[in-house]
Amino acid sequence: MTASREASARRAARLLRWYPAPWRARYGDEFAELLIAEFAEQPRSWRRAADVARGGVIARLTRAGLTGHRLEPAEQVRAGLATAACALAAFLAPGIAMWAQLTIGWDWAPPAAGGATIAMVTMTAAAALLAVLALLAAAPLAWSAARSLRRRPARRALRGPALLAAVGTAVLAVGSHHFQNAWPGTGAHPWAQPGLVPAGVAAFSWAATLSVSAYWAHPAALAAFPAAEIAWMAVSPAALIIAVTGVAGLVRRLDLSPRILRYEAWLASSAGAAMAVFLAGACCWVLVAGSGPGLFHAGAIDVGSLAVMLLALSMAQRATGLARKSAPGSRPQ
Amino acid sequence: MAGPRGSAGDGAPGAGTLGAFGRYAGPATLILSSLAGGTKHGYALTKDVEAFSGVRLAPGTLYEALSRLEGQGLIEALESQDRRRPYRLTAAGAAALRAHLDDQRRVADVGLRRLASNWGTS
Repeated sequence: MTASREASARRAARLLRWYPAPWRARYGDEFAELLIAEFAEQPRSWRRAADVARGGVIARLTRAGLTGHRLEPAEQVRAGLATAACALAAFLAPGIAMWAQLTIGWDWAPPAAGGATIAMVTMTAAAALLAVLALLAAAPLAWSAARSLRRRPARRALRGPALLAAVGTAVLAVGSHHFQNAWPGTGAHPWAQPGLVPAGVAAFSWAATLSVSAYWAHPAALAAFPAAEIAWMAVSPAALIIAVTGVAGLVRRLDLSPRILRYEAWLASSAGAAMAVFLAGACCWVLVAGSGPGLFHAGAIDVGSLAVMLLALSMAQRATGLARKSAPGSRPQ
Repeated sequence: MAGPRGSAGDGAPGAGTLGAFGRYAGPATLILSSLAGGTKHGYALTKDVEAFSGVRLAPGTLYEALSRLEGQGLIEALESQDRRRPYRLTAAGAAALRAHLDDQRRVADVGLRRLASNWGTS
C-alpha cells in the first residue's frame, strides 16, 4: 500500500466513525473504498465531510428506530423501546430533580400559590404512574433475560449489557441510599408532614438526582460541599448512563416474543402519556407559579430542565409511535 | 388522471414505492436508472450518474439511498470484489423505477403541452 493510499484509508476510517458499528460492519469496506477514490479525485471538500457526517447521524437515528426506515418490524420495535428507555431516563433525571426540590419546599411549608399545588400534585401522580409502568415493563424483560442467560449462545451476547444494567443500577441505588441521609427536608419520620410523599422516597429521589444542580455554575459554593457529595454528583450521572446503556442493550438483544413486544410497546406509549402529564405539571410550576419564595422559586436551571424534558418527550413519542406501528399483530395505519 | 402511483407497475412487489423515499426519491431514481444499465459498485455508480444527469451524488447521500433501496428489496448486493461491492437492480426495483418514471413522464408531458400551447415553442 502506498503512503498516500494509507493516509487516505486513515482519513476514510476517521469519517466512518460517524456511522454505527453494525452499519460499518455491513457497508464499511465498500464505503471506505468509495471515499478513497473520492479523495484521489478531490482531496479536500467540506461539503463531502458534512454529507458523510449527516449520513452517519441519520444511520444512527435509523438504528435507534427514529426514522422508520429499513428495520424489520421486530427490530424496529426493539429499537424504539430501547430509545424510549433512554429518552425516559433523560426525561426523569431533570424531572425528578425538579420534583425533589419542590418536595423539600413542601415539607417545610406547603406552597401558597395554587399553581404550585396543582403542579406538585400532577407531577407526583405522573411520577407514581411512571414508577408503576417501569416496574410492569421491567418484569418480563428481567424474566426473559434470566431465561436467556441460562442458554449458552444467548449468554455471550447478553452478558455485557446485563452486567452494565446491574452495576449501574446497584451503584445508583446504594449511593442514593447512602447520600439520602443528607436530605435537607424535614425527614426522620416515615411520612413527612405536611409533605405529599414519604420522606424516604423524597430523600432517595433527591440523592439520586443531586447532580442536576445549579451549583455547577457556582464553583466557589460547590467547593463548600463535602468531597464525598461532590464525588457522588459526578458518579451518579455516570451510573445512570451505564444502567440505561445496559437496559437498552438488553432490549436490543433479547429475543422477545411478539406478545411481549406488543405489551412493552403499549406500556411505552402509556409512559409517553404519563411523561406528557408530568411535563404539563412542571410547566405549570415553572411558567405560572415559579415566582414563589424559597424552593418554590423557579430558576434558569428549571427552564433548562423543561427544554431537556420536552426534547426527551418528543424523542420518546416518536420512538414509541414507530414501535407501536411495527409491533407484530398491530393494525396497519 | 390516475393518482401519482396509480397506473404502471401496480400490483408488482415494490412498485411505486419510490414516493415513500421522500427527499431520497431523487437519488433513488438516479441510482435505479444507473443500475438499469447493469451492475455497478459505489464509485462507478457516482461516475455514471454524473455522466448521464450532471448530478454528483455525495458519498453519504449515495450510501443512505443504497441502504434504503436494499432494505426495500429494490436492489441487491453481489459478492464483494476487492472490498468494492457491486449492486444489481431487482425485478421489484425495475417495476418501481418504471412506475416512477411513467409518473414523471406524465407530469413532464402535461407541463410541456401547456408550455407549448401558452408560451409557444422555443
